[in-house]
Parts: sequence; C-alpha cells; structure tokens
Amino acid sequence: MVFHPGRWSSNAVIDPIPAPTRKLTIVAKDPGFRLGGPGGPMAFVQVSVPAEILARGPTGYRIKVVDYNATEQRVYVNDQAYESPTGELIDPFAPTGNETLLDRAYQARLLANPNFHAQNAYAIAMRTLGAFERALGRRVSWSTGGHQLHIAPHAFAQANAFYSEPDRALMFGYFRSTRGEHVFTSLSHDIVAHETTHAILDGLRSRFTEPSGPDQAAFHEGFADIVALLSIFSLPEVVAGAFGKDGATAVKGKTITLVAARKLAPASIKKSILLGMAKEVGQALDAGERKALRRSVEITPDEGARMRQADDEHDRGEVFAAAMMNAFVDLWVDRIADLGKFKGGNYNLASVVEEGARLAGQLLNMAIRALDYCPPTDINFEQYVAALLTADREVVPNDDRGYRVKIKESFAAYGIGPPGVGCDEDGCWKRYPYQGKLAYARSNYAAMTRSRDELFRFLWENRDTLNICEEAYSEVLSIDPSSRVGPDGIALHETVCQYVERLDFFSAEFKHHFDVERPDGMNSRTPLTAYGGGVVILDQYGQVKYHIANPLKDGERQRERMTYLFDAGLLDPADQRLRFGLTHQNRMGA
Amino acid sequence: MSTAPVSATLFSYQVGFGDCFLLRFTYAGGERRHMLIDFGTTGLRADLERSQMLKVAQDIEGKVRDLDPEARLDVVVATHRHADHISGFATKDGKGSGDVIRNLKPRIVLQPWTEAPEAEIDSLGPVSAGGRALTRLNSLKAMQLVAGKALAYAKANAKSLPKGVADQLAFIGQDNLSNMSAVLNLQSMGPNVYVYHGCDAGLGAILPGIQVDVLGPPTLRQTDTIRKQRSRDKDEFWNLAPQRFSDAVDEFASADSSLFPGFKSVKKGRLYTEHRWLAQRLDEANGEMLLGLVRALDNQMNNTSVILLLRAGGKTLLFPGDAQIENWQYALQSKLADRLADVDLYKVGHHGSTNATPQGMWKRFSKKGGVGTTNRLTSVLSTMHGKHGKDEKNTEVPRRTLVSELKAQSNLLSTESLAANVMCHIVEIDLRAGVAKATAPRRRKPAAATPLPAQ
Repeated sequence: MVFHPGRWSSNAVIDPIPAPTRKLTIVAKDPGFRLGGPGGPMAFVQVSVPAEILARGPTGYRIKVVDYNATEQRVYVNDQAYESPTGELIDPFAPTGNETLLDRAYQARLLANPNFHAQNAYAIAMRTLGAFERALGRRVSWSTGGHQLHIAPHAFAQANAFYSEPDRALMFGYFRSTRGEHVFTSLSHDIVAHETTHAILDGLRSRFTEPSGPDQAAFHEGFADIVALLSIFSLPEVVAGAFGKDGATAVKGKTITLVAARKLAPASIKKSILLGMAKEVGQALDAGERKALRRSVEITPDEGARMRQADDEHDRGEVFAAAMMNAFVDLWVDRIADLGKFKGGNYNLASVVEEGARLAGQLLNMAIRALDYCPPTDINFEQYVAALLTADREVVPNDDRGYRVKIKESFAAYGIGPPGVGCDEDGCWKRYPYQGKLAYARSNYAAMTRSRDELFRFLWENRDTLNICEEAYSEVLSIDPSSRVGPDGIALHETVCQYVERLDFFSAEFKHHFDVERPDGMNSRTPLTAYGGGVVILDQYGQVKYHIANPLKDGERQRERMTYLFDAGLLDPADQRLRFGLTHQNRMGA
Repeated sequence: MSTAPVSATLFSYQVGFGDCFLLRFTYAGGERRHMLIDFGTTGLRADLERSQMLKVAQDIEGKVRDLDPEARLDVVVATHRHADHISGFATKDGKGSGDVIRNLKPRIVLQPWTEAPEAEIDSLGPVSAGGRALTRLNSLKAMQLVAGKALAYAKANAKSLPKGVADQLAFIGQDNLSNMSAVLNLQSMGPNVYVYHGCDAGLGAILPGIQVDVLGPPTLRQTDTIRKQRSRDKDEFWNLAPQRFSDAVDEFASADSSLFPGFKSVKKGRLYTEHRWLAQRLDEANGEMLLGLVRALDNQMNNTSVILLLRAGGKTLLFPGDAQIENWQYALQSKLADRLADVDLYKVGHHGSTNATPQGMWKRFSKKGGVGTTNRLTSVLSTMHGKHGKDEKNTEVPRRTLVSELKAQSNLLSTESLAANVMCHIVEIDLRAGVAKATAPRRRKPAAATPLPAQ
C-alpha cells in the first residue's frame, strides 16, 4: 500500500546505501518510571529498529499494528508519516524545535496519542525479535506460518495482555488504576517484550504450548521474564536513571558522573527498580502494595524451592527467572569490582551501566541460543540449564570469567541442577556418543540441511540407534542453520533439526507401551496422547554432534506427565486463544 | 422413637439444570425424617411445563405429609446461593414453590457461613475479625452486581460475541443474580444455622441415629492454614475481580466517549479492510476474557457450597453441592477425609462438570468399581446437557469423560434419563445392613434404584 503520497514522487532522493536501522521514540520501561526519583520526568528514548518502509499501522515486514479497541468497537486511525517527502525514514514522534525527550509537555503529548502507543509497541516488539535473530544468526519465524504478527495496542479495557497464536496477535489491554487513571499495558517495555517473547518462543519451539509437566508452561513464563528483564539493560538511560547520580568529577577536562558504591552491592541492586517487572501495571492494580508484578530476584532460594511446587505457572516461572537474575547480579557485581574507583569510593556511572549492558547482552544471547539445545517436547528446568551451559561452551570453551560456574551455582541454589542423565561433569550436554553406529551412507548431507523429507529419511534409517519409536507418528518440525564465530575466530555453520513423536492410545495400553502402570484412578478407556522428540545438531561435516531428546519410550516420564495432567484436570487441551490470557488474568489478581 | 433409621430413600427430582433432592429416613416404628437438599433451576427441559417447580414442591409436600398431614419438613439445606440451587425457594403471593416449602415449617435451615448476616458470623466464631469476613460478604454482593452487568452485556452484544460466549455470559449472569425472594424465604422459614468445616450442624436431635459431618466450606482461618505462597492473592481476588469486570463493561457503556478524544477513529461498521480480520477476533477475545472473569467469580460462589456427609446404619451419603477443588482442598487434608472411603451414594458435584469431582476425592471412594462390584457405589446426577459449556471446546456440562467414568465405576442415575412424565429417580437404601454387619458380617445389598411415575 502506498501510504505517503510523496514517497515515489519524482523529486525523491533515494539513498544509494540505505541505512540498516532507523530511530524511533519509545517510553523506556514504562510511564511509572521516573528519572531522578518520583518527581522526575519519564524516560523517553530513541532506539534503533530495522529500517523499512512502513505502511499504515505501522505495518512492517514482521509486525502489523491494528489499533482496534474491542471495548469501544472502534479503530484509532494511524496517519503518521514514517517517511519524509524526499524518502527519508523519519521518527514522527521525535522532539521538534527546541523540545527534548525529557520535556514534560512533549511527553504528555505523546502519551495522549494512540499512534504513539502503536509505535511504542511496534518498536519494542521489533527490538525483541532482533535480539533473537542476532543471537541465533538467522531469521526467526512466527509459529503461525505467516510473516507478520498483529499487535493490538488498545485491544480491550481489561487488565491483561497476551499472545494468542490462533489470532496471530499480541493483545494489549488497558485499565483504570486505583486512582482512576488509564494504564496502558502497551506502554510497558517489560510487558511488550514479555508477550513478544511468548510469540517468538512459540515459533522456535511450537510444542512448548502442549499440555505437559508443570515446568513446561512455567518455562514459557520464566523465559519471557528473563528476556524482558535482560533487554531493559540495552537502554542505558533506564539503568543510569535508576541508580541516580552521586556527584561528578572531572578527568582530563571531561565530566564523569559518579554512582555511590553502596548502591552497587548485590542487595541494593536487587532492591533496585531495575529488577521489578511491569512496575506501573503492578502499582496501578493494588495501590502500590505489590510494587511490581514480578520481582523474581528478591525470591530467596528457600522461597524459590516452595514456589517450584506451585500450581501457578508464573510462580514456577519466577523461580526460574530468579535463578538467572541472581546469577546476573552476582556476575555484574564481579565486573564492577574490576572497575577503577574514584574519590570517596564512587564508581563511574557510565562504566557501571556499560558493564551491565554488555553482561546482559551476553546472558541474553546465551539464554536464546540455549533454545537450540532444548528438546522440542516436555522441557523441564533442569534440561534448560544443561542447554544454557552447553550453548555457552560452544562459543566460549574456556570459562575464564567463571560465567558457567556462577550460573550453575545460582540455579542449583534454587534446586535446579542439570539433569542426572546425558550431562558431563560441567553440567553441559555430552556429545553424541554412538557416532560409529549411525548410518550416513544413504543420506545426502546437503539435502539434509534443506529438506525435511531427506532429514527424516536419515532419522528413520537410524531409528533404532536414535531410539525413535516405530509405532509413533514422527515428523521433522524444523531444520535451521546455526551460524556463529567459533573460538578460533572462524565462522562455524551447524544445522539444528527438531523432530517429534506422537502416540495416541488408551490408558489400558499404558503398561503395553511404557512398561509402567497407568496413573492411579485413571479408567482404562481414557484416550491419551504421549509425546517425545529430540534435537539433532549436525556439525559442519554433517555428522550428529548432539542428540538431545526426550524419547517417547520413557515410561517414567510419561507416567509422571500423565499423572500431573490427570490430577490437575489438564488432559483436555486448553483453549489456545486464552492459553496465555487466562494465566495472566489470574496473575493480575482478577 | 427408634434411635437409628432402618432405611433411607432419596428422591432425585427433575428440575432441568439444577438440584433438588429430598432425603427420607425411616425408623423402625414407621416414623420419618425429611431433609430437602437444594431446590433450584436455571433451565427446564423443553418437554416440561413451566409449572414444573411448583409441581416438584407439591410432590415434596405430598411425600412429607402422606402419612401425617401435620408433618414438618425437618431440614432444609441450601448449599449455596446460585439460582440453580435456591430459585425454587422463591415465594409468590403465597402460591409459589417457595411458599409450599415454607408451609412445611422446616425445623432447621442449613446454609454456608458465607450467607450469615454480619452479626451472626462472630457468634459462630469461624472467622477472626469481622473485617475480612465482611469484605467477603460485600464482595458477594458486588458479584451479584457483576452478574447483572454480565447479563446486560451479553444481551447487548449478542451479535458481536461468539454465540457460545454470549450464551454462557448470560447463563452465569442469570445464575448469580440475587434471588432476593428465595434468600429472604430461606432466612425466615425456620431457624438458620450457618455451617463450616467441622462444625456441629445441630441436627443431633432432629435426625437421631444419623451422624452429620460438615466437610465444607472452610472458614477463612481454616483456608489460611493450607494456603501456599501468595495467599494474599485470593483475598485480593474478591476485591479485584468484580471491580475489573465492572471497569471492562462500564467502559463499554460509555463507549461513545472515545479513549482518545479528538483523535481520528472509525467505528466498527466502517473499518478499513486491513482492520477487519483482527477486529472480529479481538471482539471474540474480549468476550472470552469477560467470560473468564465472570466464570472465576462463579467458581468462587460454587466454592461456598456446603459439603455434607451423612452416615447411618453403616451407609455413607455425600452431598457436596457445587463445591470445587478450592473448597475440597481443606476437607481432603483433614481427619474427616478418611470417611470418604466409605461413600455409598455420591451426589455428583456441580451437575457433572469435571472440576467439581476432584481426583483427590474420587480416588478415595473405595466402593467404586465395575459392574458386579460388591456394594457398588451409586452416583446421582442432576443435570441437563446443552445448558452450560460446549462440546467442541470440551467444556460441556455434564462432561462426557466424567459421565463415562461414573457409568463405568458406579450405578449412575442421571435426571437426564427421566421421561417427561416421571418426576424423580428414587434410590432405596437399606440401613439395616450396616447394623447387621456389625454383629454378623454378610454381603450388603446394593442400593436399588427405580423410577417412580409422577404423582
């Protein structure tokens, strides 16, 4: 659709080397976050997003914003110009004239404009997607098969926001705070990043939304929290603003802003607003008592161990996020300790923030790349820890900075250790041990990296060795290239393949298939579906480097899963539209 | 009068989507005691006359007074406030079904403690301070306000909401609406006792030889003892959920004033092409979310249900109202839970919805089993398919998988199987077997069940 009438006008100047990114204004964190304390201005920033010619909405190649409000049953029309008459990509909400990003009148004007809310959600979603694509070195698809994910920034007057796979959409609600003011979830960086991560994760691991053990649903929540929390650190204004300034000093004619050492102790950082999720939304829901919807990092290991048993997916997910964020804080404090101090024991604020951003970026990359090393079905926290450590080892074989040790310790403190089977002493997945038993003769490596059928042929030929069940219906879900720079500085190309197995049966056949009794109390005619599957990672020579699987024929796991689903009344698949919506609704207290 | 009943007879009435059970205990001398457990409906079968509830009331009157025209109804139990459990108690100028029951001069009326007027809560002592209990009670009132709004919203948006969503919003709204006439009648038709887990229901003198255990609902203090992490959330729920729903539908009510006044917008009928695909889905999602809020409130009300366990002559009868897992949770970890192993007759919870027959309870029933099982469990289900939930979404009530399990593991009697001219199922239970068993063990006779023509 030609949106701006001047785009193709004869006087348009087309830049022969188009810039890969453009700047767009967003609210950093949320409108509840104030620079320099409660009376300060909100933090508005201009961030980089992929450059593209946007259609009305804005609508780009991965995101389509439709600003329809179901409560009012109306669309807010977006007529913003994202290009100048001469074809330059512009930010329609950039400060104009003498305005700055911190001017209160300017900020108020943007917050009152629904088109700005639309831009805010678009930009944060694109940045979140970008973080995944950078970490994985490839394009990441939505699970729907489509190319564009819808975003409804004012979907309904409800205190909820969620990803709906059947609607190919992120839906962001709004509600009135206890003071009667409207609170928009689409203006919360944490919430937009969290929901976008649900959609991305569904694209990468589509079976993680199937009924499974309690960890799998919690993993979706915990992982989305981790991505949202770590991605905040890519906005230095937010991190610096949260610390505040403790004086300044001049070095070689340059002014350096300082931060007091006492603010950088682990306990202080944990209490900091940095690690609270969705602060404004949480405060608005119950008059400030809760402060933030999730404050994972404040959860102690003992508390975490109790929450690990919780029914609530967010509670369990918080334990998972708590372990990761505590590792982040410890590592950050270590790095800060290496920085030079100024008079009075203060630190250079910019350096502290930069170290945090760099560390957060590394952990975020590690967390995302770990997905390639996760089994495609029935994930549990233990397996993810092994995947996390493995992903890092592949890039940094020597753990000189002690990242992996610290991460492993942090998860262990919350009762989450690597699985007992399939891991080495460092907690990483073992390389595939039966290389010599695999038959490659009838497989074409080049075709295997492109064709699901060819790859399936390889799996099927080796089904005995790979422990793939003949009775089940198996299929290759995806074949993805994985490119990164190896430890020797040379580009490394591997192939990540997911396959799943599915077996439909009646509970009377439980013993026959799995050699264990069916769950107590389950009648013999209950129809059941068991899943299994694995990830096969082919190295640059086409050889199986890793086979990370939850095989279907694992009686103990299948019985445990079925018992949990049966006891929790979850054997029937949940409504996919509200799969995330209802858990979020419960979390919102309503 | 004998000290123990020799038989029990359960009349399971046809009230469409609702509950109505008359339980008769007969003593050796021919004396009788009658207990009415719930009397309500939210929808009758199409082949029944609208006067069905009055007919049921008259049938109950006939059964209570067929031997003695002055006989009184001994006990009325209103398990919880939902219309499908109490609507029959509504009065109508002395001629309503509730008037007929009132005229039977109940000796005692049992209701959950949540129904107690404020002054009487402290006298029972189930809660620590009036504040929190009052919050709960006020929230119940707020919920009824929500019910009215849900009903209005469903009607106003019948075209834009998915049909199932609109129907369910209307159904739950209707079920939760305050039925003031029935509530007042229950409060005044006889002495009220407001019960909670483990309390003495005060039926010892009225029902001699019958042990009555109240398994639920738990009080707030009891509930607190089993709450895990984030126990505050449940209390917050009572304040937040009605408020959230009101906000959502009140925003709709003022829809003509745009959220962003002065900005260009177009109403639904004039949407641009690129908006329509998602707009329809957002309408549906909004409706489903509203339904989720209302359903959560509805579940909370179900969880105020009285759960009664009656034991006489070695037989155990369980009447759990519509209690769901949150209500059952306290009972299942209490000492009383062991008594569930002996249940001979189970009134299926919540008209056969899955969430009211929790596994933790069902697993304890030792007398369930296939056809031929000695002393096989009898299940009594009062329900009507098509009123609540949808088959294709696996939310239908009664839930097919549960009905299948009940059929396989017990003698199931469902009011759905009653012909239009049959008023109720009758279950005869011989209570002498238990006594005999105590002195000379022998095989107990399974509970018999025969339909009785309408009178």
